[in-house]
Amino acid sequence: MSDRLLVSTRKGLFAVERGPGGWSSRLVGFPAENVTLALPHPRDGGWYAALNLGHFGVKLKYSPDGGATWEDRAVPEYPAGEEVVTADGKPPTPATLKLIWALEAGSANQPGRLWAGTLPGGLFRSDDGGKTWELNRSLWDAPERKKWFGGGADHPGIHSLCRDPRCEKTWRLAVSCGGVWITEDDGASWRLIGKGIFAEYMPPELRDDPVIQDVHMMVQCTGSPDAIWVQHHNGIFRSIDGGENFTHVPAAKPSGFGFAVAVHPSKPDTAWFVPAKKDESRIPVDGQLVVSRTQDGGQSFDVLTNGLPTAPAYDLVFRHALAIDATGDRLAFGSTTGGLWITEDGGDSWTMAATRFPPIYAVRFA
Amino acid sequence: MPTVVLAPSLARWLTAAPGESVGDRRLAVPGRTVRERLAALFERHPSLRGYVVDEAGAVRHHVVLYLNDAAVDKSAIDEPVPDDAELFLFQALSGG
Repeated sequence: MSDRLLVSTRKGLFAVERGPGGWSSRLVGFPAENVTLALPHPRDGGWYAALNLGHFGVKLKYSPDGGATWEDRAVPEYPAGEEVVTADGKPPTPATLKLIWALEAGSANQPGRLWAGTLPGGLFRSDDGGKTWELNRSLWDAPERKKWFGGGADHPGIHSLCRDPRCEKTWRLAVSCGGVWITEDDGASWRLIGKGIFAEYMPPELRDDPVIQDVHMMVQCTGSPDAIWVQHHNGIFRSIDGGENFTHVPAAKPSGFGFAVAVHPSKPDTAWFVPAKKDESRIPVDGQLVVSRTQDGGQSFDVLTNGLPTAPAYDLVFRHALAIDATGDRLAFGSTTGGLWITEDGGDSWTMAATRFPPIYAVRFA
Repeated sequence: MPTVVLAPSLARWLTAAPGESVGDRRLAVPGRTVRERLAALFERHPSLRGYVVDEAGAVRHHVVLYLNDAAVDKSAIDEPVPDDAELFLFQALSGG
């Protein structure tokens, strides 16, 4: 059971901690600065924080002591001369780092290993805790990479990185817009997977092309790693063969649109979503903030409302802002209007944090 | 010695965690051109480099440089500058 959340917001990094009196929050770094995600390192206990300072660029910071002090880490840098080439008609542009959009640690045998997914589409690896980074050439040089394009951003980006708990050399990642990919040799080679995902809004010839798919978020069940859930621009998709093939989940309600998804760590058929009205609207359906949960692999959904606002609420939840802890009982989600809700019973009931936060980009149990 | 003046919003990042209300920072750094002064500045404060220039070495779009009262042409930072000219570094501020 995890008693701490790291909440990355437009105006700083917060820790939300459970004490005898319930959950309370404190600012632990970067007041007034734009923190886009945080990684509590699963082994050394340190915290990484990715910032996007706009005028001053993207930064990576590390705290060895729970936010008491922070150190500079390097950020991934694109080699000179690299270009972002996309398939949506935009002219090529020089590749420079726009955002660290995913950050994950390697296995217990790889203590300094970090993988970073970025905009505009580069995957980077560090073996020294973020002091140096190297562009993963095999993915960057894959011919299909030039078929990627931006979804909500100008450029494509890697937002989901899933390390297979069965093999430290196997990772899956997802791209908006660039589909689902797998490496089984620690990044030496990558293969496009994700058949079955479709995009109704694309021209018919491209509807089913795995490389153009706008995956919003992808998660993998720790205890049953062949179970993978995807929240896609077009709906919810589920794989039971490690992401090779997906099937659409049409039963999602009140809608299939959204950004965030969480899967239970040991029950592969149980997953949570925070739906919104598709896709040009991006507000809760009928102005009601709800969480949807399936416990039967997507055959049916519960619409969870207990403890969520009963009055109209227009909170939207970004892709990294729904988190689940290692037990699967505790989940938390934060919204773009600064609300944070926590459940300790798998979503049957929710409690709103007392703090009104700045816009929340990411939530993670630490 | 030539001087570089960092605006408060930049000076607060001289440490990994941003300080508050740090004010301007005036630093004496050598250099016959803007590029040389920036290089000397980054040598003394390596972490500052990424705040002022991107990975390709270009001055960031919303960072501006002034030599005394004149804006610096970002494409001409190799022009000689007088020793007594102060180089100001600051940036646009926006949003809420």
